[in-house]
Amino acid sequence: MNSKNKMINNNDSFIEDFSIFRILIWIVLLFFAVLIVIPLLFMFTASIMPATEILKMPYPWFTGQVHWQNYWDGIKGPYDSFIYIRNIFNSIVVSTSVTFTTVILSAITGYSLAKFEFKGKALIFMAIMGTMMVPFEAIMVPLYMVALNLGISDSYAGLILPFLTNAFGIFMMRQYLITFPDDMLDSARIDGAGEFEIFWKIVLPNCKPVIATLAVLTFRTQWDNLLWPLMVIQSEEMKTIPLYIIRFLAETNTDEGIMMAIAATASIPIFILFFTMSKYFINSGVHSGSKS
Amino acid sequence: MKKNKNYSIDKEKSFWGLIFVIPSLIFFAFFSFYPILNAIYMSFFKKNLLSLRPARFVGIKNYLYLFNSRQFIQSVKNSAIFSLSTFLLLVLFSLFFAVLITNIKRFQKFFQMVFYSPAVLSSVVAAVIWLFIFDPRGLANQGLNFIASTRGVDYKWLASTNMLRLATVLVYFWKYVGYFTIIFIAGIGSIPSSLYEASKIDGATPLQEFFYITLPLLKPTTLLVSIMAMVRCLKTFSTQYLFTTAGAPSRPINVITLNIYNTAIQDHRIGLASAMSILLFLVLIFLAWFQLRVSKSDEVSYQ
Repeated sequence: MNSKNKMINNNDSFIEDFSIFRILIWIVLLFFAVLIVIPLLFMFTASIMPATEILKMPYPWFTGQVHWQNYWDGIKGPYDSFIYIRNIFNSIVVSTSVTFTTVILSAITGYSLAKFEFKGKALIFMAIMGTMMVPFEAIMVPLYMVALNLGISDSYAGLILPFLTNAFGIFMMRQYLITFPDDMLDSARIDGAGEFEIFWKIVLPNCKPVIATLAVLTFRTQWDNLLWPLMVIQSEEMKTIPLYIIRFLAETNTDEGIMMAIAATASIPIFILFFTMSKYFINSGVHSGSKS
Repeated sequence: MKKNKNYSIDKEKSFWGLIFVIPSLIFFAFFSFYPILNAIYMSFFKKNLLSLRPARFVGIKNYLYLFNSRQFIQSVKNSAIFSLSTFLLLVLFSLFFAVLITNIKRFQKFFQMVFYSPAVLSSVVAAVIWLFIFDPRGLANQGLNFIASTRGVDYKWLASTNMLRLATVLVYFWKYVGYFTIIFIAGIGSIPSSLYEASKIDGATPLQEFFYITLPLLKPTTLLVSIMAMVRCLKTFSTQYLFTTAGAPSRPINVITLNIYNTAIQDHRIGLASAMSILLFLVLIFLAWFQLRVSKSDEVSYQ
């Protein structure tokens, strides 16, 4: 799907710019765009309103004053524990380290599967690709037992290690590198470069677009991850942001404004990423769509 | 001499190739291969997570138990209702949006971004936002009252069985419709524009263009999106989990993943949860197989 950047104007001269048809399209699109944005607007507007205002009917959208207190209360958390800061720190640590390691591991494995010949390669490739068929939900129970047996539950290791096996990332890297010019690698070898050096200095820098796409995909999945942390984490200190939200929801008598403030802070990093790297977000969608 | 050297280079290369896959293989062994095999194995055993008693072999009793368990059948039903309705909505609307977006001249990127934006939110955040929208005093009731021109009716979004199901469908639909729209747009982009030019010369109307060019040539994309949407829906967890945590009745939205989670983590019945996982896995593998089969027999040519 290399045509994703090619914007298409099928009906260029066919339908004039201001034909009824095109105006209708615009109206429909705008209507749905507004519908889609409303919940997001609700989150941001409610996050700066006291709870009493939020429950007014009809919903006031904007009250004229900004109630920053919600953000402060959200960060303070239950019993003024400021556990929020620790929890968002955990989310950042887990997401970035999984992303970083997945990218390197997928790249080096994909590189090996694309450019090297060795015994059992076909088998290894098949086995790894086969795991793509198995959804996380189907193996989470035994995975949980593995985490218990390895003694990594309730720790960073427990949150990070199970996600370093990204068959899809390996596949993406392999497909990308299979067309990588051999001459470049061989001439580096003749110049006496070691294999690690070749990977690090020649292969990796040439994979930037694919790396960015994979990184965005991984970061986002991790930032979003709920099910696994829910299983493997018990202590408040080790919780990630989705778990903090759940806990807050279950514990306090859910002040909507504070909840929305927490939700907003949890979304801001990913939105910044989205607006600065939207190309890779959209790529990652299209890529994971075309994995067959 | 030369041959010899080549031989040693090959040998060295195969050595490095192996070195480069070993780190991944170690992780896969622990966190993928072993759990997969273990899930199959455990599904034939009776094992309580907390008890020290070793697992007891029970054959296919876990599976038999599941097929006779009301609660399990109910969760299968819930998953089926959720997946079928969400997937239908997703496919229809994302195709619709994609066709509309590719038919305007300006602001294509803008609309793509707007429609895609909920997909970047974390699913917990999405669920929390909608939880408050579905509040008895929330936007959902206000909106529905406005459309139906009723006053102050509470539609019981989070209380009545069908409304609760609809609520979870809406959350999921809202979150992922933009994602699939993007895939459809890429699919439409790969249709050669010469076809549209030709049809233009023949004087086809936009609707004819859609039904005779876009739709038939989008078949592979539609299939792909359908399977992906289906698989994703079957794996839904966060919305249902969060809604039940917030006090919604769990029976109508106790989907299969939620059931697996509760059986393993709350009830500690590992064998039973494994058996459920295997059944879920079989359904998903069937979908993957189906996709592969249909897409192979159905290669589209643009000529």
